[in-house]
Formats: sequence, structure tokens, C-alpha cells
Amino acid sequence: MNAIVERFNPLFKPKTVAVVGASTKGAALPNVFIRRIRELGFTGPIYPIHPTAPEIDGLKAYRSLADTPEPIDYTFIAIAGALIPPLLAAANGRVKFAQVVSSGFGEVDEGRDLQQKLVDAAHAGGMRLLGPNCLGIYSPRGHLTFTEIGPRPAGSVGVVSQSGGLGTDIVRRGLNRGIKFSGLVTVGNCADIGPSDMLEYYFADPDTRVIGMYIETARDARRIFEILRAEKARKPVVLLKGGRTKLGLAAAVSHTGSLAGDDRAWVALSRQTGCILAESLDEFIDTLLIFQTLTPRADKPTERVVLFGNGGGASVLATDTYARLGLEVAPFAQDTIDALAELKLPPGTSITNPVDCPVGTLQQDDGRVAEKIVDIIYGIGKPEALVMHLNMAPFVGRSKPEVLDNVVLAAMRVQQKFPGLAHFLLVLRSDGDEQIEARKREFRAKAVELGIPVFDEIGNAGYALKALRAHERFLQSRSG
Amino acid sequence: MTAQKLIAAAKQDGRAALDELAGKQLLASFGISVPKSVITKDAAAVAQAIAGMQPPFALKVMSPEILHKSDAGGVKIGLKNAEELEQAITAMAAAPQIKTARVDGWLIEEMAPAGQEVVVGAVRDPNFGPLVMVGLGGIFVEILADVAFRICPITRLDAAEMLDELKGVALLDGARGRVRASREAIIDVLLKIGGENGLLMQHAEDFKEADINPLIVSANGAVAVDARFVLA
Repeated sequence: MNAIVERFNPLFKPKTVAVVGASTKGAALPNVFIRRIRELGFTGPIYPIHPTAPEIDGLKAYRSLADTPEPIDYTFIAIAGALIPPLLAAANGRVKFAQVVSSGFGEVDEGRDLQQKLVDAAHAGGMRLLGPNCLGIYSPRGHLTFTEIGPRPAGSVGVVSQSGGLGTDIVRRGLNRGIKFSGLVTVGNCADIGPSDMLEYYFADPDTRVIGMYIETARDARRIFEILRAEKARKPVVLLKGGRTKLGLAAAVSHTGSLAGDDRAWVALSRQTGCILAESLDEFIDTLLIFQTLTPRADKPTERVVLFGNGGGASVLATDTYARLGLEVAPFAQDTIDALAELKLPPGTSITNPVDCPVGTLQQDDGRVAEKIVDIIYGIGKPEALVMHLNMAPFVGRSKPEVLDNVVLAAMRVQQKFPGLAHFLLVLRSDGDEQIEARKREFRAKAVELGIPVFDEIGNAGYALKALRAHERFLQSRSG
Repeated sequence: MTAQKLIAAAKQDGRAALDELAGKQLLASFGISVPKSVITKDAAAVAQAIAGMQPPFALKVMSPEILHKSDAGGVKIGLKNAEELEQAITAMAAAPQIKTARVDGWLIEEMAPAGQEVVVGAVRDPNFGPLVMVGLGGIFVEILADVAFRICPITRLDAAEMLDELKGVALLDGARGRVRASREAIIDVLLKIGGENGLLMQHAEDFKEADINPLIVSANGAVAVDARFVLA
């Protein structure tokens, strides 16, 4: 096994876990942690460490990290900061990773010395340190979590976040969008393990195919650059950088307590290493999703995009948005238009590009008409991407429930008939109505199961496509 | 003089920056073209100093106390012979800001052939290390901030992409009646500054910032006409 993977496996897939700070009353954060990882299916030994209690939450407690029956892969620590250095120093080489939730370290002036003591103690105790001031790790492979969620399948998206709160947002929103994680690590003050260590790990980890980073201040920026430079975008890396404006920078400094780099450097980083710079949390998640579901094509970067769906005005606006993003939603050549005209679709249907089909058209043959349309688009038009957008409101109540399924399944059949021709993206537009939201959620889950990336608006899909194209172009420009 | 010695000498002198001649010698030691030049201590020695050099000449005051030579009246261009140079030195020495300053000498340079003004710069980022920058000269850099940055070291492809990133890139091809400027010559300078074995990688800790402004680029080559290296 790769040495880096081997080094970090005990963090992502611990066999034994110790918990420091759990109370006999069962109400402290470490008690919650014990409950959550059990719910997530962690079945290995859990060792509570407590100065006096014989037992916590039905588990036998130990006095010190050196006293447990087995060595400890992962230790969760939430006690007063000043008590932690002696605890770690006494571990006697029996702990591989210690995660410190507690704050009051380097993120405040008066905590700087204590943070140094913490680092020294971790070295003395022979372990790597995550945090302090960090929520911890979400690793479905290892049944670890810091946020309240039920069991979820492990996946291929690995994320490192310098903010715990935003890390929580990324996990929860990402899961709801169909992202499956190989891990999400919050690194807090990065006293020892920093974003570059996680970047290096995710590149080495065979389970991870897509990497996401939320960074505010990176003292290890040079190392991030060198790793990205050496890897040449072998796996797509999506970077969300906080503090890119002067005021944002000031906010980041007070959040993590260290100086952030210049925005020009981050833009340069993106241009020369091919990592994608996302502008917002939504764009970050949309972009992770597209890389999780679609295979980038270095030999044929995405240029020509077809929009197909219901909603004339929406597709006109989207055409504008895509043009601004440099994505080409250009009218079809005459042969494609002629072939579509042969279908004799009802009046009100537009068959250039964007292809605008009112619900009346789409419910023909219970939605199977979409197969004929997409077949012509793929067979004759040969675009690099098709964005199918469905405004749910006109469907719900007006057509049979299966029409929506049939439209998408019809497109999927054509997709399979032309393997590797075009990227397929689905946009499910909802007006926020309760019934429609419920239908959308259910429908999105089905689509995600089929490996289709689903977006909330046509524009969001455009930003993700732009990122995919940037990645494809980078690979193409650096090949050979 | 080698790069190390130039830097050491400036530090020993207590300078905040390399003087213009030292800056150009540093560039020359990395293979970047600089104008043929000579320093004279006084007007009387000019004729002897410029023997074998081609007019027209540029004349610049050398003084660690004068940061903006043009503003102080310390730059004169288009001088045709020794006589014009002597007169210019005498006049320059009498300018109010120069009269009171410590003057190390007078720099006489052959003028670069006509071309487009380009700026090549460098800054040291505390986390990323040295960055290299390129922009088109004059208003493009100063007012429009039309510049591109990369983290060092850069590759030839990175350098080419930096140029393509400039909004004014078409000007290099001779748009709006300009002289065509050699892209390859600019790319070569960028690599000598920011490439794998370039100046910035070898002296990452020595400089806080630097710029070549202007780099005069013609269809055949590029010449660094002014250089500023601020010591770290």
C-alpha cells in the first residue's frame, strides 16, 4: 500500500477510538460523538478516558491514553485546552491521531503559547494532531461523523475544510444533492495536519476521485502548489477560497487567526495547476457533483451545449448566462433542424437550439417523444453536452406522474446509445411549492441513483459545465 | 560580477534596492539583454567613455537618494554625441533635486531599438513564495491593471498563457498600427526570470519585489531598459 495512504488510514478508517471529555451524565459533546459513530455503524472498541469514572455510556473507562487494552487509532478530545498537552504527552506512542475540538489556542492571541505546547506534546506522545479548534472528520468508510446524519454510503469525493461550520454545510447539502464522500476533514487551526497533507492523501487514496478544498488561510500554500503542480490535475480539484476580497480577508484573519495570501496568487494557482476556483458554496457543491458523476474528456473539451426542456423565457435567459460563461448554445445546423421538423411537433415548440418544448409536447406518448428528439440531437447535432431542464410545476397535476420519469428515461436510453458522445445534465426547476418540492426531492434521488447530476437551475448547471470544460481544456493543453 | 556578489555588495552598502546598473548586470547574468552601457564620473570623461558605442544615447543619474529619476530631471534620451552628453550632464547636475543628492555617477546607455513597452515584475508572497507578473507597459499596467501572475517556477506554456490572459494581447501582434512585438522574446524573459532555474527561483529569499519597466520588445528581441530590485 502507498505509504501516505497507510499513514492516514487510521484517521479515515480507525479500528479503535478513544474519547476524552465524555461525562457520566451522557450530555457532553464526546457522549454525542459516541452515540453518532455507533449509529453510523462503528463496531470497533471505544475507550472513554476519564480521571475517575469506572464506566461511561456503558463502556469501561480508562485513566490515560496509555492504559487502554489496544493502541488507539483515533482520539476525539473535547476538554479544557490546558489539560490536553499532559494528556497527549502521556500517550507513550500508543495513539496515531488526536483530534482536538477545544478552542482557545492559536486562533486567539493569548492561546498561541498553549498551541505550541499542544504541538510539542503531540510530538512527544508520538501522534499526529488534527486541529485544535476543529469539529473533526466525516468518514463513512470508517463510520466517523461530526454531524447528525444517518448511515450513508461511502463515495469518491474527498474534502478538506478549514471551517467546521462550512464543513458541516458541505456534508449535509452535498449528501442531499447526491454527493458521496470518501471523507471530509475539518482541520481547524492546522497546528499539525494542514490542507496540503489532506490534498496529498486524497491524491494517493484510491477511493477518492474528486477533491474539494475550503481554504481561508494556508501557511502550507507553497506545498499545496507543489502537490498540484506535480499531479497535473490527475484528479479534479475544486477550491473554494475564503478571504479573496480585502474585507473577506479581514474576516478570515479573525476566524482562523493567521494571515491569508493574496488573491492574485490563488487565481494564478488555478490557471497553472488546473484546479477549479469556485466562487460560492453552491458553485463548489455543483462542481463537486459534476465531477463525481461525469467523466471529463480531455480529447474533446465541452464547447457546444444543447438546452432542451420546457420554459421558453428560462431557456433564453440561460442562453445568455451560458454565453457569458463562454459556453456555446448556438442554433443547430440545417440538417438537425430538418430532422426535428420531420417529427411534426405541436405549434409552440422551438426546434433550433435551445429546444423549447411546452409540457403539451413533452407529454406526447407519455413522455417518450423525448427519445426521438434527443436521438436527433445526438445523432445529427452531436453536441458535447445536453442540459435537460424540466420546470416541474406544469407537469405536476397536468400530466400523469410517469411522464416526468419517461422524459428522463428516454433521454437516458439515447445517452446509452451514444456512449461517450455528450455529457448529460438534468435541471429540475421548482417554484418552492410544497407538493412540487416533495416530487422534486423524490425524483432527484432517483436520477442521482442513475448517476445523473441534478441541478436546481439552468445557470447552476452552466457554472458546473464551465468548470468541467476548464478541467478538460487543462488536461488537453498539458497532454503529450 | 556574479549575481551573489551584486546582491552582497548592495546589502553591504546598506541599500534598500540594487542600483539600476547592478539590476541590469543581474539581468544580464541570467541571459536577459540590457543596453550596452558605461558609467562616467564627470562630464569631461564622456568622449573616452563612449568609445565604440552606438548613438543615440540615454543618460541617467545614478544616485541611491533619487528613487524617481525622471521626476527629478535625471533622465535624458536621444543624445547624439559626446558634446550633447556633456551638456546634458552639466545641466542635470544643476537640477535642484540632484544638486543636493549623493551622485554615484552618470549612466550612459545605447538606446534600445523601437518596440512595445512591456512590464515584467515579481513579488514575494509570504505563503506561496515568488510570483512573476507580466503586463503591457504604460496605462495598461498603471491604470487598467491588465496583468497576469503565476507562481514560480513557470513553464513555457504557463508563460504563453500569461500573455494570452492579457486583454491587450492583440497589441503585441501589431494591432492599432503598433510595431509587432515578439511573443517568444517576452516568453524567454519570463522564463529567465520565473522559470525552473530562473532568477526568482535562485534568489527567492533575496528580493521583496522587482520589476523590469520597461522591457522594450521589437519583432526581433527584448531589451530591459530599466530594472528595479528591492531587497528583502
